[in-house]
Amino acid sequence: MMINRPARPRALISLVPMIDVMLILLVFFMVTSTYLNLDMIPAVKPSEGAPIGRPQAPAGTLMIRLGADGIPVLRGTALDAETLQATLSAAVAEEPLTQVVVLPSGAAQTQALITVMDRAALAGVTRLRVLRLEAAP
Amino acid sequence: MKLNRPARNPHSETIIALIDVVFFLLVFFMLIGRMDATAPFDVRPATADTGRDMPSGGITLAVSATGDLALDGKAIPRDALSPALSALLADDPDLRLRINAHRTAELRNVLPLVAQGEALGFRDVVLVVTPETDG
Repeated sequence: MMINRPARPRALISLVPMIDVMLILLVFFMVTSTYLNLDMIPAVKPSEGAPIGRPQAPAGTLMIRLGADGIPVLRGTALDAETLQATLSAAVAEEPLTQVVVLPSGAAQTQALITVMDRAALAGVTRLRVLRLEAAP
Repeated sequence: MKLNRPARNPHSETIIALIDVVFFLLVFFMLIGRMDATAPFDVRPATADTGRDMPSGGITLAVSATGDLALDGKAIPRDALSPALSALLADDPDLRLRINAHRTAELRNVLPLVAQGEALGFRDVVLVVTPETDG
């Protein structure tokens, strides 16, 4: 004789607490996250071991002075960003290992230096150094 | 004659749709957001087109337009910066130092931080930029 077990009522899991938890998580991530798209430009490269001033290669070196007004000066001539990029592109086309040295004024703004580094990268410059002058003790 | 209203569906079915929407929103905000400690002052990084994607991790040193500093969201005087960085570097020698300087910050307040980090032994120091012109 086979006894049939009475069918259990189907257990229902309440979904309301789950919604509550997810809503709290959603609000938490919306409030605590920042949504600005950020990139990075390396300031210290592992290959920058050699001190500045040591001749590394016979390639030419271009020195860009960055004034307090943020205008780059190359060989005594103030350049805008497009002209600077074109000049650097021509120099890199002639000598791919051209080294570009940036000597910024301490009063220049960060945006000015980033713009010069950005234009140099767009021009194909692979060897870029930023000089940092230190006060004499 | 009285018509019986058909029995309503259990409300769990509509709740499932709500769960789906909330879950998609949750995943969306988790993916597009970045959980960084924000500085106690306004920092708008410089714009650049050639910046590389910045992975998470590392510590963020924010520099305001006037030269004030904040390390991972907490204001810190310049005198206390070196000990704090040294302690963090002792825990993780490969720690990345991200310098998030306001675009109008003077370089005399920014470049010494790069040199300071390099002198302390940071092998990975980056400048934070943004590709968005209105950021």
